[in-house]
Amino acid sequence: MVKVQLNDVEKRYGPTVALAPTNLSVTEGEFLTLLGPSGSGKTTLLNIVSGMTEPTGGEVWIDGVDVTNVPSAKRGLGMVFQSYALMPHMTIFQNIAFPLQIRGLPREEIRRKVEDVLELVQLPHVAGRKPKELSGGQQQRIALARCIVYDPSIILMDEPLGALDKKLREQMQLEIKRLQVQLGITMLYVTHDQEEAMTMSDRIILMNNGSAEQIGTPNELYFQPNSSFVADFIGQSNLLDATVAGEDRVRLVNGEIITVRHDAPLSHGQSVKVLLRPEVLHLREIDAGGNRLDATIRGSVISGSTVKHFLELDGGTSVLVEELSNGTNAAPAPGDRVTISWSVGQARVLPA
Amino acid sequence: MSADPQANRLLKGAAFAVLAFLVLPSLIVVPISFGDTHEMVFPPPSLSLDLYRQYFGDPQWLAATWLSVRVAIWTTLISLLLGIPAAYGLVRGRFPGKRLVAMFLLSPIMVPSVVIALGLYIYFVRIGLSHGELRLVLGLTVVTMPFVIVTATAGLQNVDPNLEKAATVMGAGPFTVLFRVTLPLLKPAIVGGSLFAFLMSFDEVVIAWFITRAGYETLPIKMFSSIQWEISPVLAAVSSLLMLFSVVVCVLVVVTRRNEPQQ
Ligand SMILES: Nc1ncnc2c1ncn2[C@@H]1O[C@H](COP(=O)(O)OP(=O)(O)OP(=O)(O)O)[C@@H](O)[C@H]1O
Ligand SMILES: [Mg+2]
Repeated sequence: MVKVQLNDVEKRYGPTVALAPTNLSVTEGEFLTLLGPSGSGKTTLLNIVSGMTEPTGGEVWIDGVDVTNVPSAKRGLGMVFQSYALMPHMTIFQNIAFPLQIRGLPREEIRRKVEDVLELVQLPHVAGRKPKELSGGQQQRIALARCIVYDPSIILMDEPLGALDKKLREQMQLEIKRLQVQLGITMLYVTHDQEEAMTMSDRIILMNNGSAEQIGTPNELYFQPNSSFVADFIGQSNLLDATVAGEDRVRLVNGEIITVRHDAPLSHGQSVKVLLRPEVLHLREIDAGGNRLDATIRGSVISGSTVKHFLELDGGTSVLVEELSNGTNAAPAPGDRVTISWSVGQARVLPA
Repeated sequence: MSADPQANRLLKGAAFAVLAFLVLPSLIVVPISFGDTHEMVFPPPSLSLDLYRQYFGDPQWLAATWLSVRVAIWTTLISLLLGIPAAYGLVRGRFPGKRLVAMFLLSPIMVPSVVIALGLYIYFVRIGLSHGELRLVLGLTVVTMPFVIVTATAGLQNVDPNLEKAATVMGAGPFTVLFRVTLPLLKPAIVGGSLFAFLMSFDEVVIAWFITRAGYETLPIKMFSSIQWEISPVLAAVSSLLMLFSVVVCVLVVVTRRNEPQQ
């Protein structure tokens, strides 16, 4: 079932296009993430759904109702803010009870629901405290509990973990994901952290310059990016300039010809980018039918579980190779000549 | 904080000297108020409560006091009713000419009282407003409201707009947001602002003098005229009471501030 549907919504501020006409649908129980660099329109899109920003065009549908002209308060949404936005003058209990009181629930039911949800976020002992007496992570969980408690049709989160340190952030990602799956929450989540998006999302919308660059599962975005922006933003990538030299063959700038995989038909002489993920490359020849290139080692770095090799192809292009470190990796010295190879099909052609 | 303890002591000494210079002239009326009923002298030759008895026994003094209290209460209420929404608009609103409107609203602080007083006088005569008490209330609101706006603005700037947004998204209508989020968070600013407005209104002489009518003597006016005509020592008792009142109000402000959670 479709929870939220956006039809050609757009937002302009004078000549600035904060959000180009965008279509989107969020299905029930889905964790959908808006990912993108700063200023790409994530908050704008989220606020159009929440009703805090009025779109300059298009329609917003929630639960099958056109809510484009319905005020925030009547949209039946939940929202978690980066600053938590817990009421400082209320106790934790009162904070969570607040949306239930607005809905006019009887006192006894409110008490029961608040206690249940505090149990759910594993903070049953803080009911009597004021928000400032909790840590950042605890406040964030209370902010989430305050949404969960009234069962909104969708929960919106704008960089909810931005104020937390890395370790706590990773812990909260799993915690939020656990609750989302357990309760079947429909979630629209904003972040500019691609790892966070990959960890939590069912689908990701990668935003660029006010429009959706690509929508897909984390897997699709990683393995089947449809532009070099996506390839560059998600994970690490080597993007090599090339020109089409025949049916699934391209010529790199140094004249080498390699075999590539492509979705759209290629026309001879067209200039393209070739995506090679660092982890599909090997510092040895893997199979005879594969692609191979000669290169020179410029340096190597061990970062725990992986080793990164910085290489230079003949012709001057830099390439990153990442291999699992097993303690026995032969350590090539800078200046060593090596051959890198990959299975055919791992090289993807993207529009230049 | 200065790290040097000697410099610290010097600073403290200087601060107390200035304080003494500012406060002692006012404090001198306190011993005089316990003197006898004939003349104002320091030190008083004998101690008694005669002057206080005289004040509380004189219907004219009491009438002036009650008028001042009533006017101050109305002035404060109207200032709050107009000043808080105005401050809200100035802080949260987005409209062209906002700074100009802010300057206009706060201008009574900068314009000399005499000018405001004269303007009000001419204006009230022109529109034929002849009710003495109403004239005082409206006239004094002009000077107290800017102070309410200033304190409420400062208070609102400390209230995270996301709190109001959060409440709205949760389904709260504008009134619920106002009464359960914004106003409770503004409480310290409102209490401070209204006590201040009350004192200002109670204390105001120049404007009250210009716009009042015969039979509507506020306490400060009555004090002023009695020092012109008779230099009655009962003034010392009235002044001491006023001082006590101000101190109580200030302590109240400090206490309410302390009890509020800081955001
Ligand atoms: N009120 C406004 N007036 C004018 N331009 C605005 C306004 N709000 C946003 N914009 C512009 O719209 C674009 C998108 O902004 P938005 O806040 O949606 O970005 P974002 O993706 O959330 O960025 P961030 O990661 O920094 O939060 C930006 O270029 C921004 O400057
Ligand atoms: Mg944003």
